Amino acid sequence: MRDGGDNRSRLVVIILIVSALLFITLDLRGIAVIGGIRHGAQSVTSSFQRAGSFVVTPFKNFFTDVTQLGRTRNQLEQLRFENSTLKNRLINRESADSELLQLKSILNLAGTAGYKIISAKVISQGSSQSFSQTITIDAGSNSGIKRNQTVISDAGIAGVVKEVYSDSALVLLASDPAFRIGVRIAGSQQIGILSGQGNRRAILQLLDNQTDVAIGDVLLARGSAANRPFVPGVPVGLVTSVDNSPGAIAQSAGVTFYANFSALSVVAVVVGAPATDPRDSLVPQKPEPTPIPTVTIYVTPTPSVTK
Amino acid sequence: MLTRQVSLSALIFIFFYLIQESVVTQFHLPAGGFSIFLIFTLVWAVLSTPVIGALSGFAAGFLMDLSQSSSGPFGQWILIMILACYAISLLNYGNEKLRGNFIEIVFFIVVGVLATELCFLITGALLGVATGSIDQIILTLIGISIWTLVITPLSMPVFARLHGFVFNTRMHI
Repeated sequence: MRDGGDNRSRLVVIILIVSALLFITLDLRGIAVIGGIRHGAQSVTSSFQRAGSFVVTPFKNFFTDVTQLGRTRNQLEQLRFENSTLKNRLINRESADSELLQLKSILNLAGTAGYKIISAKVISQGSSQSFSQTITIDAGSNSGIKRNQTVISDAGIAGVVKEVYSDSALVLLASDPAFRIGVRIAGSQQIGILSGQGNRRAILQLLDNQTDVAIGDVLLARGSAANRPFVPGVPVGLVTSVDNSPGAIAQSAGVTFYANFSALSVVAVVVGAPATDPRDSLVPQKPEPTPIPTVTIYVTPTPSVTK
Repeated sequence: MLTRQVSLSALIFIFFYLIQESVVTQFHLPAGGFSIFLIFTLVWAVLSTPVIGALSGFAAGFLMDLSQSSSGPFGQWILIMILACYAISLLNYGNEKLRGNFIEIVFFIVVGVLATELCFLITGALLGVATGSIDQIILTLIGISIWTLVITPLSMPVFARLHGFVFNTRMHI
């Protein structure tokens, strides 16, 4: 055990472990002091995150470009010939355009359904060290955001507000393993429960085993009592695989979320739901297949040379 | 002397915690990315005595539990970090051969990060924290290990210098 394994060091470690266990017990019992400490720390950290978001954005764009090198090679080759000022301006402009595009789509989505929303910028992405999927947005209780409100992206559901601070809020993404949402299949109105899997895919458990679910079916949020945490009608995802095991108690299906959680930069918190259920009005339109031009070649025989 | 060491250590820990929370988390790094704060804490523990290692683990765990992205109950990271830092420090303490060996310390840190994450998963499962699908967990663990293997050699000289400055020791790694 060498010098470090003496009684004193063991005593210190035991005291520290007991303290940790005490903290866990207090937290699991819901003692408010622990929540207060976390709230206070988050209020302090959010200002640093804002500053970090501002400073890091150009580098972040650079890293995004590097990770998507194959796709943006042509664009990078063009940019190489431009000077650094123009390059930075272009990157910043692209970022702003992307955010604007996302915001326009969110407004379209919210406008169609009649949701009252508060748009917010993503200022931090939760670390994966805790195997949780969260983001922090730059709007909080001062903007009218409350816990358990639906958060939407340009494509559909993004998550739910988990914690609210004065100027920021923590959003539990729909991809988080702890995320559960009641959904219905657009058209057939069959209901089920969708659970996150840590990535863009999710598992749908249908409540009725006799339900017919097919690949390509669109899932919409079923809505909650008093519209919290979920407002009805928000597009959730698309069924990509169906598990038809004969012995299964409940039918299940693989789902891909509409929202791309790794590219969220602007989201909106739904603070007011419409008076009537928007039903299937938010079902995304299927992309029209691009017609493939058919080229017809007529072969004409070369006149043979006769001697 | 003790006041100086504690206050400087606290400042350094808070600094790296803020770097992790406000800078590293901004990047959408593939395969889960890395935790500079976790790497820093384990390097700090490797270079310290077991008692200081355990205390460092407590402080780091406390800060990690304050993080908004922490999914478990408050105290889970404290418990794990105390055990991880104490263990890594105890294994390393007095082993002069290891202390000067850069590659072995890097290996120690990578294994330490992996073990810490596994402990988090196991205790999380015991405490009822949802952790996602197996393939996603494996992907994240592999990703974090590879990132740690890349980041540790780059950052360790800085961490070692800071440790030497606080504790007035000269560590040649």
